[in-house]
Amino acid sequence: MNFNIEIPASKNELIELLSEYKNKKYRIGAGCTDLIMELRKKPEDDLTVINISQINDEDFNNIKLSNNKIVIGANTNVVKICTNNEVVTNFPTLKEAAQNLASNQIRQVATIGGNICTASPSGDLICALMALKANLEIIDFAGNKRSVSILEFYKGVRITDLKKSEFLSSIEIDLNKVNPKNMYSGFIKIGTRKSMECSVVSLAYHIQLNENYKVISAGLAFGASAPTVIFAYDACDFLINKNITELKNNEIDEFANHILKYASPIDDLRATAWYRKQVLFNISKSILEEFSKTN
Amino acid sequence: MQKTEVSKKIKISFELNNRKINMDVKPSSLLLDILRDELGMKGTKPGCNEGECGACTVLINGNAINSCLYLAVNANGKEITTIEGLVKNDGTLDHVQKAIIDNGAVQCGFCTSGMIMSIKSIENYYLSQNNNVKNKKKPNKEEIKKWLEGNLCRCTGYIKIIDAAEKVLINEE
Repeated sequence: MNFNIEIPASKNELIELLSEYKNKKYRIGAGCTDLIMELRKKPEDDLTVINISQINDEDFNNIKLSNNKIVIGANTNVVKICTNNEVVTNFPTLKEAAQNLASNQIRQVATIGGNICTASPSGDLICALMALKANLEIIDFAGNKRSVSILEFYKGVRITDLKKSEFLSSIEIDLNKVNPKNMYSGFIKIGTRKSMECSVVSLAYHIQLNENYKVISAGLAFGASAPTVIFAYDACDFLINKNITELKNNEIDEFANHILKYASPIDDLRATAWYRKQVLFNISKSILEEFSKTN
Repeated sequence: MQKTEVSKKIKISFELNNRKINMDVKPSSLLLDILRDELGMKGTKPGCNEGECGACTVLINGNAINSCLYLAVNANGKEITTIEGLVKNDGTLDHVQKAIIDNGAVQCGFCTSGMIMSIKSIENYYLSQNNNVKNKKKPNKEEIKKWLEGNLCRCTGYIKIIDAAEKVLINEE
């Protein structure tokens, strides 16, 4: 593994570098926990790593509340995400996904922007951020900003909408319409062990209810069962305006089928396609069944 | 902004076990490699080289990280502690090291330094949380296991390691 390195100290320096490297080969590295592994397995010639981990910028490295939104800087490490009060209170699905990502050692270093841009089909934070319908703020080499929904960000296995000379600057999530007690939110990760696991299947859900348990907003996304993490639009639509405590068994099955129909898993060393589909169906049902049991 | 080419080395300075280090590193050098091969800290073990096993765990500003997945250039300006840094100047061992020995939590020993650094990071976390707090928080056994999820041991079955961690983190005042 051999590469050049550039170490910008600010976002402006990063923008200057992106302009300078417009026609050159580079990779952006934040925590570099995935990048080092990738370059060790597949070394690239004449590569420059733009190492953004030393950028000293309060907004880029932290989480803040602003105008009914939570804004997470792309360079925020995973530990900060699972311990931030706003995230813990408002977005349990994101907190649980962050808490179960890799190991403590990796969570200290790995960043949310890295998880999003690595675009793994099993990306844990991606899955939760899709359920939360997060928006991504992107900046290009000229300093122009654009915003894209995470639901439209993924184009294929490890392919994103991020163009050359752009970088992910922050992630914005709208605060809930309801107070936290009317929210049903979580993250299920199935793997052969609890820790350090690349999911066999994962499912993120973030459902908001009115006082009468009627669903007023739903976000459901699953990982590791298609070329990208997938948002299950029809399953969300199916739940809207339904009373979540009064669902019949056939409705719960129908809901799970609305998730399953988006799945196109492969056989690999972790699990067969058949098994992934079966598990996805079962955990999809389980979130509604669990709700009835616990409420 | 620091610019460098493959052939060129990059200047970094950091504190290693309370000693100031100034050195030049290759842009692609990993912290694990400079610690072992250039600074002689052989207590930090190369295991899987993939961030799975935790044998290479060291502390950066008190937090545990995998030195096999950490660019050496990012050590610049930080405080790094390896297993060698836990021993006091008069040669006495740190209480985490003592607890590991007292509980017989070592067999082949390869994972031990990483395990100890991880336990040390839990202690550091609770120390920072309990600063000026009356009712001191302590982790429970399940929380200790969760903290140690990134450290594998293929000999002991973990029970004695967790016993040692409990002794330091829960039972000691």
